[in-house]
This record gives sequence, structure tokens and C-alpha cells, in this order.
Amino acid sequence: MSVLSRLASTACALVALTGMARADALTDAVIDQHILPTYARLATETAEFATLTENDCAPTSEAVRAAWGEAFDAWVAASHLRFGPSESDNRAFAIAFWPDSRSKTPKALRSLLLDSDPVVNTPEDFATASVAVRGFYALEYLFYDPAYADLTSPDYACAFVKAVAQGVSRNSAAILTEWQEDYADKLRHPDDRYRSDEEAHQELFKALTTGLEILADMRLGRPLGTFDNPRPNRAEARRSGRSLRHVQIQLDSLRQLAQLLSECDQELSQHLTQLFDKADRHAANLVDDPSFAGVSDPQKRFLLETLQQDVREIKEIAALDLGPKLGVEAGFNALDGD
Amino acid sequence: MPSRRGFIAGLMASSMAPSATWADAGAPAYLSAGKDELGLFVVAGLSEAGEVLFRHSLPDRGHAASAHPTRPEAVAFARRPGRFADVIDCRSGAQLARLEPPEGHHFYGHGVFSPEGEVMYTTENAFESGEGMIGVWNARDYRRIGQFPSGGIGPHEMLLRRDAPGLVVANGGIETHPDTGRAKLNIPFMRPNLSYLSLSGEIQEQMELPSDLHKNSIRHIAVRSDGTVGFAMQWQGDLGAVVPIVGLHHPGDAPRLMAADDPRLRNLNGYGGSIAFSGDETQIAVTSPRGGVVQVMDCASGALLAEHALLDVCGLATLREGFLASTGTGAVARIGTEVEHLATAPLAWDNHLISLL
Repeated sequence: MSVLSRLASTACALVALTGMARADALTDAVIDQHILPTYARLATETAEFATLTENDCAPTSEAVRAAWGEAFDAWVAASHLRFGPSESDNRAFAIAFWPDSRSKTPKALRSLLLDSDPVVNTPEDFATASVAVRGFYALEYLFYDPAYADLTSPDYACAFVKAVAQGVSRNSAAILTEWQEDYADKLRHPDDRYRSDEEAHQELFKALTTGLEILADMRLGRPLGTFDNPRPNRAEARRSGRSLRHVQIQLDSLRQLAQLLSECDQELSQHLTQLFDKADRHAANLVDDPSFAGVSDPQKRFLLETLQQDVREIKEIAALDLGPKLGVEAGFNALDGD
Repeated sequence: MPSRRGFIAGLMASSMAPSATWADAGAPAYLSAGKDELGLFVVAGLSEAGEVLFRHSLPDRGHAASAHPTRPEAVAFARRPGRFADVIDCRSGAQLARLEPPEGHHFYGHGVFSPEGEVMYTTENAFESGEGMIGVWNARDYRRIGQFPSGGIGPHEMLLRRDAPGLVVANGGIETHPDTGRAKLNIPFMRPNLSYLSLSGEIQEQMELPSDLHKNSIRHIAVRSDGTVGFAMQWQGDLGAVVPIVGLHHPGDAPRLMAADDPRLRNLNGYGGSIAFSGDETQIAVTSPRGGVVQVMDCASGALLAEHALLDVCGLATLREGFLASTGTGAVARIGTEVEHLATAPLAWDNHLISLL
């Protein structure tokens, strides 16, 4: 590898090399090293899951559950990238409808299974069903809560698993394709959707802070509830014991994005690395509480609160030190609307 | 039996010291919530020229306020999901009372007095059920006297109808719960509306936009003397879609979306912050702090007439000619054919500028 290409592989290198601000090196790095690989993995894992279910679709099948889990992992790693292709046609909501504060998923799933609703028969019909039953979380109920599998025949359950697997695969493929064929260009070459490199950077920065917010307020905050009223039943994917796993996967993915966004400022980059390291250590302390049932126990609850605090600290440093470097105006009214 | 002398003294006292009115000297022309140099939250009274006349400390970030129709007092509301509303003497900024919503409710930041000022209404979230509520308060002693549903989820700004007795409520459609801060919990299923309610809470009419706009949260409103409601929206879908942000609705008629084909719509970044009619009621303006612009539209044609750049602008009020706008950088400016800077305060002005006169 030549010196030049080695330098060019980092977002700051071109700026240093040419001595002029070629701002979109940062955008390129985030697209090529984070967004496209993350959505490519989601497309691959969901396609594998869908292919598997063509022959093996029993909710009790270990192979099906394992493939579902790997595809779900890939979704969680992408779950902060909620702009552009993920939002067309409600794709992201259809892949993963969460949080479900009004229990729409179990309600809709129950009636679908009880009625053996023929909507599962074709992908086109299934695309018209409620987003609440079309994604990973609906399958979790079927796989891990016996109350649901018993509502229907094995054949219908199988058809439902197939329909969901195909649906998440189609939506994931559509997101990736739109990124590859259209949206990456819109970010790289500001024109209409984004009118400057700063606007593109702001979108990427927002993905980071939104992800940190989801992590702190939803993935950790929902089960935490309040000290007097902890809500263990709200922990994400608690039935399959994946709550902590999702937090760790999202931390890894956000770390990657934060590093790419802060690459030009070594000090800040190191600071963020330290903060993510700390959060990882505190997450590891929760290994015995994978579904966050411990929120009701003051001793274990403390561990979750500590982790939530870590995530909020990362968000604060990002807003304070990283945002301004990316030209994000911390407007009093613009920042947090109402 | 009182002596004649005592009787006359009593008469004198009651005639010479009538209850205070807005005409009393020193009352400000506008109210706005803000954040000061130390990061503390206040509500401030402003003169017509945008100078700060008083500051009243708030326990947390404020949002909008509402003026009593006859007495020189106003209520400053906490920003959602806050739980306080301070009643302020507008001559001095002194606090007269502090309201708290019932257990299980929080305020949304807006409220309004009844036409005669006996009752005050507040928009609230009954957050366990997620139902939008209107709180009813006795405006003499500020005791809670009742409540009724708002006709939707997430009621935000509420004003009096001007074509008939009643309230008009912008139900933004977004469910939130204080446990998860300001996180939006129901975006794929949200259904905002404008609800017209009687003063006792009967739903008289509801306006919903077509389903392709169900993610356009109807949040702020202004009411014209003929009863037409101008509404400003906040788009919750992807920003790649350029959607209308301002509409007009006259009860009984179909809504009209403004400037829908103008490419400058996108400069609002999918976000209307405040809305106001011009003094002559032929124009309507919207602020967008995210776009850093004020756009002025023609009510009759729906055309976008002018766009003015103003950093972090959000507060907006009607002037006899043009509009008055306030910004998160502390500026107060008159929006006419151009932006005329009036004053800068060492405060970040929050979302809304409330006319008192």
C-alpha cells in the first residue's frame, strides 16, 4: 500500500495532504466504512434467514432461531441510521417496531394467529399488514412466549415465520439498494437533499446522538422506569434474553461512527474512546442480568443506572465537543424543537 | 349598621382602587420564556421595542404563556413534560400562584383563558393512558375544577375560537411518556388533528389531513377574526420529503395547504415553530428555527410571498404592520419588507412570543 493511499484511507488525510478543506472525505469515510457495510450486513443476514425459512420454518427450530438472532443483531447495529432509505415506505418500522408502548405487536399478532389471517400468503399482501407484526419483535413473541405458538397450527406459524423473514429481507435489501444507487450520492455530493457538506455532516452527527438517546432513554431507560416504579417488563427483547446484547451491539456500532466523525481531532477521539471503553466495562458487569430483570433490585439497578449515565456522558461530550467541529449549530430553539 | 362615614370610606376605597387592568402603566407588550446568561430559565416581559422590562425565574425551561383578558396577569407554562405553570403579575413580574397538574399528567406548554377570564384551560398529557387532556382551572384562585379529553394524542397549542364560543386544539398526535423523556413512541401510527371543542369539552368538529400527511404533527395555531385557523406543522417522516408546513382551516370547510408547490418550503426543514396572522389578516407567517427562516404567505392565494433569514428564530407575534420575531440568540426583530433589528437581550428567547396588548 502506498503512503498516499494509506493516508487517503482516513477522513482527515486528504485535508492534511492537500492543505484545503475537502470536507466530504468525512462523509465518504462514514458512508464507506460504516453505513454501507452496516446495511450490507443487514441485507446479507436477513437474506440468509429468509432462505433458511424456505425449508425450515418451525418456530421451535434452533436453526431458525439462530438465523433470526443473527439477522436481529445486524438490525440493532443499524438501528441508529434512521434517515433516508430506512424511512421510505416505513421500512425500518416494518423491520423492527419498537418501543411498543401500547402493546400493538402482541395484540395484532394474537389476532393474526387466531384468525390464521391469509395476509401471510404473499409478500405483497403481507406488506399491507400492520408494521407491528411484520418484524423481528413479532417473531420474538412467537419463538419465546408459548402463549403465542399455541394460538395457531404449526403450518400457519410456519407460514408466518416465512412471511416475516421474507419481509425483513426485502425491506433490508431495499434499504441497501437505495443507499448504493441513490442516497450515498446525495450525501457525498450535496445538491438538493443536502445543500452543503455541513448539512451532510449534521445528518451523520444526528445519527450518532439519536442512537445514544435511544440507548439511554429507550433500551436502558424504559426498563429502568423510576426507582419507585421499575418496569422490567419493558426491557427490549427480554423474552429471548437479548436486552443486554442489544445494548452492547449498539454501543459497538455507535463507537465506530463516533470514531469516524472525530477522526480529525485526536484528543477528542481518544476521549470518546475512553468513554466507550468505560461504558463497555459497565455493560460487561451486567452479564448476569441479560434481560434487565434486575431493575427491581436496588443493587443490580445501580449497574444499569451507571451504564445509562455513561451513555449520557458520551452524548454530552458529542454535543459539546464534536457537534461544533462538524458545524452543528447548537441553536436553543433549533436543537430540540417543540 | 355602619356609620355614614364608614360607608363613604368603603365606597371611596372600592371606586378608587378598582382591580388592576392592562391599561395600568408599566405592563409589558409581550412575554417570552428564555434562558439567561447563567443557564437559568426565566419568563420575561418585553416592551414594544423588545426591551426587557422584568424577568421572573422559572424552576425549569418554560415554553408559552397566556394573558388574562382583563387583569394584567399571565400564566407562563413549563415546556413539556414540565409540571408547573406560574401565574405572574405582568406589571412587576411577581409570582401570584403556581399551578401543578394532577398526578399522572404533565403540561404541554400552552393554555388559554376563557373569553371573560373566569376559567383557564391547559393542554396536558395523561401519560399512562396516553390520552390528550384539557385541564380546567378557576382563574380567580387557580384551583383545578375539571378536565376533559382534547380529542387526540399530544395536544399542544390551544386558542379560543373567534367564530363561535369554544376552543380549538392542535392535537399533535405524538405520544410521549416522562419515563422516556421526549422520545416519540408512536410515529408509524400517529394521527394528528385540529379539534374544535365547546368550552365544556364537547367535540364539535375535527379536521384531519389526508393519510399521506399523518406524520405531519399539527402543533401551533393562530386564529383570525373570521374564525379561520392557521396551523403550523412539524414533519416526523424523513426529511427527504418536502411537505407543507402551514395550512388554513375554517370550521366546516376543507383545509388548505399553503405554498405546497414552492421549492422554498424545504427551507423550513420540515419544522414550523410558531405561526401568526399579519395585522390586516391577509398574510400568515411561520418561523423555522431549524431552517433559520421566517416565511410569509398570502392567505388568499396560498403563495409564499417572502422569506427572511434569521438565525434560530422561533417566537412570532402579530404587529399592525408585519410581524415581530424573537430568536435563540436574544434578538427581537420586526419582519416587514425586510428584517429590522430592534433589540438584543442577554437571553436566549424560547419558542414563543406572546402578545399582551
